Amino acid sequence: MPQRSERRRFLVCVIAVVAALPARAQASFTLEQLMQLLGQVKAGEASFVEKRYVSMLERTLESSGRLTFETPDTFVRETLKPTRDRMAVVGNLVTMSMGSRSRTVALDSVPEAAVIFEAIRGTLTGNRAALERHFTPAVSGAPARWTLELVPLMPRLRELVTSVRVSGQQAYVREVVVAMADGDRSVMSITPMIPDGAASAPPAR
Amino acid sequence: MAVPRSRFVALALWAAGILAAIGITARTHFVADLSAFLPRSPSAEQAVLLDQLRSGIAARLVLIGIEGGTPEARGAASLAYAKTLRASGLFDAVHNGDNSAFEATGKFLFEHRYLLSPAVDAQRFTVDGLRAGIDEATSLLGTPAGAAIKSVILRDPTGETVRMAEGMLPTQAPKSEDGAWASRRAQRAVLIATTHADGGDLDAQERALTQLRTGFAPYEAQGLRLLVSGSGSFAVASRAQIKSEVERLAIAGGVAIVALLLVAFGGSLRTLVTALLPVATGVLAGIAAVSLIFGNVHGITLGFGTTLIGEAVDYAIYYLIQAHATSGAAQGGGAQRWIRASWPTVRLGLLTSVCGFAALLFSGFPGLAQLGVFSIAGLVGAALTTRYVFTVMAPDGAPGTALRLRLGHAVGWCTEALPRLRWPLFAVTAVAALVLVILPSPWRGDLSSLSPAGADKMKLDADLRADLGANDAGTLIAVSAPDEASALEQAEAVGARLDRLVDSGAIAGYESPARVLPSPATQKARQQALPDAETLRPRLAQATVDGPLRADRLGGFVADVQAARTQPLITRASLQGTPLAGAIDALLIPGSGERPWRALLSLQPGAKPLDADQLRAAIAGVPAARVVAIKPELDALYARYLHEATLQAMLGALAVCALLWLHLRSWRRLWRIAQPVAAAVVIVLAVLGASGVALGILHLVGLLLSVAIGSNYALFFDQIRDQQEHQPPGTPVAIDNDTLASLALADLTAVISFCLLAVSSIPALYAIGEVVAPGILLSLLLSAAFIGTRAR
Repeated sequence: MPQRSERRRFLVCVIAVVAALPARAQASFTLEQLMQLLGQVKAGEASFVEKRYVSMLERTLESSGRLTFETPDTFVRETLKPTRDRMAVVGNLVTMSMGSRSRTVALDSVPEAAVIFEAIRGTLTGNRAALERHFTPAVSGAPARWTLELVPLMPRLRELVTSVRVSGQQAYVREVVVAMADGDRSVMSITPMIPDGAASAPPAR
Repeated sequence: MAVPRSRFVALALWAAGILAAIGITARTHFVADLSAFLPRSPSAEQAVLLDQLRSGIAARLVLIGIEGGTPEARGAASLAYAKTLRASGLFDAVHNGDNSAFEATGKFLFEHRYLLSPAVDAQRFTVDGLRAGIDEATSLLGTPAGAAIKSVILRDPTGETVRMAEGMLPTQAPKSEDGAWASRRAQRAVLIATTHADGGDLDAQERALTQLRTGFAPYEAQGLRLLVSGSGSFAVASRAQIKSEVERLAIAGGVAIVALLLVAFGGSLRTLVTALLPVATGVLAGIAAVSLIFGNVHGITLGFGTTLIGEAVDYAIYYLIQAHATSGAAQGGGAQRWIRASWPTVRLGLLTSVCGFAALLFSGFPGLAQLGVFSIAGLVGAALTTRYVFTVMAPDGAPGTALRLRLGHAVGWCTEALPRLRWPLFAVTAVAALVLVILPSPWRGDLSSLSPAGADKMKLDADLRADLGANDAGTLIAVSAPDEASALEQAEAVGARLDRLVDSGAIAGYESPARVLPSPATQKARQQALPDAETLRPRLAQATVDGPLRADRLGGFVADVQAARTQPLITRASLQGTPLAGAIDALLIPGSGERPWRALLSLQPGAKPLDADQLRAAIAGVPAARVVAIKPELDALYARYLHEATLQAMLGALAVCALLWLHLRSWRRLWRIAQPVAAAVVIVLAVLGASGVALGILHLVGLLLSVAIGSNYALFFDQIRDQQEHQPPGTPVAIDNDTLASLALADLTAVISFCLLAVSSIPALYAIGEVVAPGILLSLLLSAAFIGTRAR
């Protein structure tokens, strides 16, 4: 009898291990791997559509435009509709242009503005160190469909932003969802441009 | 009995003078800020510059760093510490990135947004303008950056708050780490405070610094360290340094001279006390004279005054040794003999010294003028005490021969040996002159070389400034105008031109008083652009169709616009008592009488350093505006003063020569005296120049002093030589050794006191010491060599 129970225990163990294998394989898609995947793309261009749900406004705000990035640290968000504006982050400098007005400030001096830039730029350029400097990152999913949940490290920022959730397929970011602490939310859907097709896009301002 | 009465009168006058001087000294205010060594400036523009340096906003800034511990601990300490400082009332502002502290400022700006926002014009309140404004403002909502405006969007749907903030936020803000500023390059939290007290009020600055330190005690207990820099802390530290240094110098100088005198006069206490009388008289006379003329006495003047101990004691030494009765002479005859034989030479020496110091009186530096007055009064006081008091008190000089006989012999031997070295010494002088010709001019000292702050303090200052983005206000644009309104208008005109440079990236940004306080014309134009409620409501209704905000929620907006139409305009006066007063006071300086109103625009360089010519071209259209590049401007100022001082020194030297000629009536003897003194100057200059010392105005003063003191020695040698030449050959020269001993002793005391200066850590003092100590020693040796008695 004891022998049988021994064997049963063994079997249970084997089954448990075997059953756990695929799950482990899936969970083992790590931040490191995701960063490697994303890091393969050195520069890119994409179009975006952003929908913002703000409780105090009558309607959803919608804007669209173009994103470009280049390793190691350049990221530009150009809004084409409804009004044109441009935000370019290079290193620690962010330049905001709207119409004829333009302002450059140090990114790390305005953490409220920096948080979104750091999340998107860090992800697009596969910069793990930059992400971990500002967020607690958590990866889920698989290369084919992954989600990167970024929770700000600074307590003060967490009072504003609950999380930035970036999701994508392979080396491409497809969606950025920013959840604000007051319940407001923005969802940015991203369509990567095929590099050759990008040439036909209207030139930047 | 006419003679005793005149003696009594002399003593009584001396005693009365001493008492008066003590009285004045006791009431004297002693100061130690280094601004006395900034040039007095003739030009109005430079006056503003110096005003700014002495008491402007830059002089009130305190840069603070917190090091040690974890970033969280530093951040938390920064937030709490800043609250303590703000509550102390000693600071007009304490910035550390904690925006919650600026609620009052924010409220004021919000209430005046329709006067202050650069976006306000008639177009802004048309249907299209309103729609564009609302779209732009609401586009920030739902993002972290929009959180701040969410609470005010219904009263400010066009986002004027954002537009004001854009203009006012510094482009070079420090890194913000969880609500507190932090260094980008080092593990430290940084803060910047503005003292309420004027930068020139060192007592108040010191109180503020004490508050900084005591307020930090609780965080120190947590293992955090406080770093403080800024011009106020420099000034307070240098004052303390000057104070302790002067005490040290006075004690060391006093001890050295007393020891030397004791040895020289065979331990006679009476002689010692007598010898110190002219010194005490001289110091008191110096302090009293400076105090009467300038209203205060600078610490550096006192430190320098300690060298007077070394010079004033010379007179006592000359007298006590030279008046010593030779054996067989009548009692009390020594004084008469001295007055007859040596006093003319001493008097001439005194007059030449006074000539030298008089040059200082005309220098552009109040601090140097003090040194001049102090030295002249001190030397005259000491010489008169020797002449009129000693001759009564010690009619036969100092008793005893002790060491001075041996000293006399030694010096006598030297004076016989040195002339043999005449030609080698001439060769040395020639080489020195050649070195001076070949070397690039060593006269390249600048104002910063006067600051006693060490390299480590300068580095800390530079580091904290870099952390805080508080550039040293290197370049300003100054606008002058007859009144407040036109000063602001001109500032706006300059601002419009600078905006183009910002757009092109030539500069990163600028600060203008017109941002916080637009000119009345601009405010009025904005007010007139505001529609009344009846006009605004229908436009707003139309502009918000299908928009993100419904018109009926914007009642507060309509009411605020309506109220702003009749709001009183902001003026400098109405800003007083608001949190913005400090900001505007730094940038807008009211005029008074002759002085115009001034607006200052400070510039932040972009990636490239500022190009003054480009700036000048950019603001050419505003005639009242001027580019003031502080460092080059100050350097130019200093160079001009150095040049002026050189001329004055040359005139001083000429006056000394003229005086000598008038007395000697002999070109040959004048030439004889000038040789060793000039050679000493040349050799000292060559050595300093070759060792890479940057010479400045104080070295020049030192040279003048070497000439003034050194010529005294030359005079004595000349006197001896002259006597010898008038004696029949073969006569023994017994009297010489006493005079020579007195000269050697006098030189030694002076060299000691200037050596003490040379090891001082205060640049103003060691510059003088390092020139004078070798200068006068060389003067004595070269006088002996060039003029000295010929060995027979």
